[in-house]
Amino acid sequence: MHLKFLAAVGGVCLALGSGPASAQEETSASTLYGDLQHVTQDMLERAAGDGNNFLHTNGNYEQTRYYPASQINTGNVQNLRPAWIFQTEVVDSLETSPIVVNGIMYVTTSFNHVYALDARTGRQIWHYKHQMGPVTTYCCGPNNRGVAVSGDRVFMGTLDAKLVALDAKTGKQLWETQIAEAELGYSETMAPTVVDNMVLIGTNGGEYGIRGFVKAFDTETGEEIWNFYTVPEDSKGVWATHDATGRDMKRDIEAEKAAYEEMGDPYETLGGGVWQNPAVDLETRRIYFVVGNPSPDLDGSLRPGDNLYTDSLVSVDLDSGEYVCHFQYIAHDVWDLDAVSPPIITQVKDEAGNDIKGILHGGKTGYVYVHDAEDCSLIRFSEPMVSQEGRWTLPTEDGARMLPGANGGVEWSPMAIDPNERLTYAINLHQPMTYTVRSTPYPEGKLWLGGSFDVIPDEEQWGNVTAVDYDTGKIRWKVRTEQPMIGGILATAGGLLFTGEGNGLFKAFDSSNGAELWRFQAGAGVNAPPSSYTVEGRQYIVVGAGGNAQLNYKRGNNIIAFTLAD
Amino acid sequence: MRTILGGLSACLAAGPGLAQDAAFDVEAEAQICAGCHGEAGMPVDETTPIIWGQEYFYIYTQLRDYAAARREHEVMTGIAAEYDRDQAKQLAEYYAAKDWPAIQAATEEGDARLANAGITGGQCSACHGKWEGDSRIPRAAGQQPAYLEQTMKDFKNEVRMNAPDKISTMKQLDDATIEALARYLASL
Repeated sequence: MHLKFLAAVGGVCLALGSGPASAQEETSASTLYGDLQHVTQDMLERAAGDGNNFLHTNGNYEQTRYYPASQINTGNVQNLRPAWIFQTEVVDSLETSPIVVNGIMYVTTSFNHVYALDARTGRQIWHYKHQMGPVTTYCCGPNNRGVAVSGDRVFMGTLDAKLVALDAKTGKQLWETQIAEAELGYSETMAPTVVDNMVLIGTNGGEYGIRGFVKAFDTETGEEIWNFYTVPEDSKGVWATHDATGRDMKRDIEAEKAAYEEMGDPYETLGGGVWQNPAVDLETRRIYFVVGNPSPDLDGSLRPGDNLYTDSLVSVDLDSGEYVCHFQYIAHDVWDLDAVSPPIITQVKDEAGNDIKGILHGGKTGYVYVHDAEDCSLIRFSEPMVSQEGRWTLPTEDGARMLPGANGGVEWSPMAIDPNERLTYAINLHQPMTYTVRSTPYPEGKLWLGGSFDVIPDEEQWGNVTAVDYDTGKIRWKVRTEQPMIGGILATAGGLLFTGEGNGLFKAFDSSNGAELWRFQAGAGVNAPPSSYTVEGRQYIVVGAGGNAQLNYKRGNNIIAFTLAD
Repeated sequence: MRTILGGLSACLAAGPGLAQDAAFDVEAEAQICAGCHGEAGMPVDETTPIIWGQEYFYIYTQLRDYAAARREHEVMTGIAAEYDRDQAKQLAEYYAAKDWPAIQAATEEGDARLANAGITGGQCSACHGKWEGDSRIPRAAGQQPAYLEQTMKDFKNEVRMNAPDKISTMKQLDDATIEALARYLASL
């Protein structure tokens, strides 16, 4: 009886939540270029070699963001011109990675709009506007980083902590699932990943005292298949005193142990969000993702211990979500210099010079970390890409200056690699900040930073585009930019890198030496990862120009596709 | 089971009408609120906030914070303590559905520059966006300037304690910047 009642109320809620048809603008599929073809698992697995489509947020399951088409290359990129500009109805941060399937493009905006566009012309095919619930949460802008595609469906996570499935042909909502309780600070800005009929997604909320997770949902029904908590019930770890680069983190271990005895394990409100997509290794059927900061960000007094698995690379079994291995970069982080940029799977040299399967991660510390995929162990870390002045200075009540600032040396921005050059490319921030600690108890789902991190107004800020040899850790080249960089980067087989800046410039660089070969002024911050695709024999580069709320870069609403002039 | 319970909870959160208390007359209650917050949405006193058109979840959490003494006010603490969760949600829904009243707010030369320096330094736009409010983030655009100034100074001086992270941020701003910010936000 009790169950029946619950089921009945749940049904009412689903009916209310699924929303009326007015949330979508229908169109006639018969008028479309292409046929919005079914996306097969085979297509998703072969994406790394697919020079027509862009099927994953980071290009392929390995997340290399290396696009195999070379029609646009170092020899002709100076002839790159806008092919079309599509304006969304939302003038706010754009962090979407455009996904392209057989000539149809899917983009998202802040506040969870989805558009399907004709990738040749930018003509709108359909528009879905999520009917947002009354409780949304975002620490860093009302962002969304894009959709995942599989079968004839499109999937998106929402600011009110839901996962929605849409019909790829019409934009009609097929189902929605509440991923976690929005009132407690859970929400979604990351794009999901789809593999073998499972939708994988993490959660935001590390600034709100959530307990982080990665979950798998059934693509057909939206039912949960497995859940991996990123914070185990025993989160104290090994009481590590030094970080991954060997620096003393100045922890008072004895005081922490005493606090742990008195307070117990803080796992229930310890944070550990997962902001970006997992890399998928179908050979071993494992996934690799990075886990964000502990809660509260700056106040370690309420969370004694290493705070596992925050600030870590973690691998779990794809089919069960069972733990496989982890590596923690910073134990007991009190600087929010966590792990957010999505990991990359590629062949790397081990310490003996042999090629092995490795994992790359660009840390907010400003280092590229290179791991053995087998056991997550660290093989090497790169030269620092940004200043490490004062690291690790503990936050104080009056504020203490340190670099990198809390937006990191690399933010959530995905890196790209060129496997031929054996280089990985990151975009960086130089942003001095003061770190201030103020201890307050868990505020039941409200913002819980435990202090603040503030930009120092009189100090100069800038950014870099940096190329790192992942076999040696050496920086090959570095190009400075006017402002701190956030968004993402794309490498192509044409020997090019594409990335944008907060001042509206979208640039192409020679990926071998960093020479700037082309630029375009987009009129608003270009702070989204670019994609590429080919339709009717013509290669395009596409990027969102909507600015960024986190760094207060000029907002806009443009999706801009470029191709070579005739 | 876990999913069903989660769905039920979200449903209740989304729809306060599902659990309305028949004895609670939201219109009558609003008459009491109007004594300070105004008959037509324009508050009687310049340091009283506009709540017509304010965000539903923000109003609800402020009422709960007053009731739990996380936020203190000589009038609101006692009033909010009388409301249970559903009643607080009904009031929040009632006011969120109203139209925000237009105010006349004057700025001084240099306000925009000072305000934007403060906004960038404090990374305010990461949550507050374009200051129009969303869910747990209150609308500040077009709010009463004296209320905005008082609120920011209350954070800075550790008088208002229910958003403690704001204390550190406001301590970074001098009073001239706070006053410019208040006038600038009121004018948006």
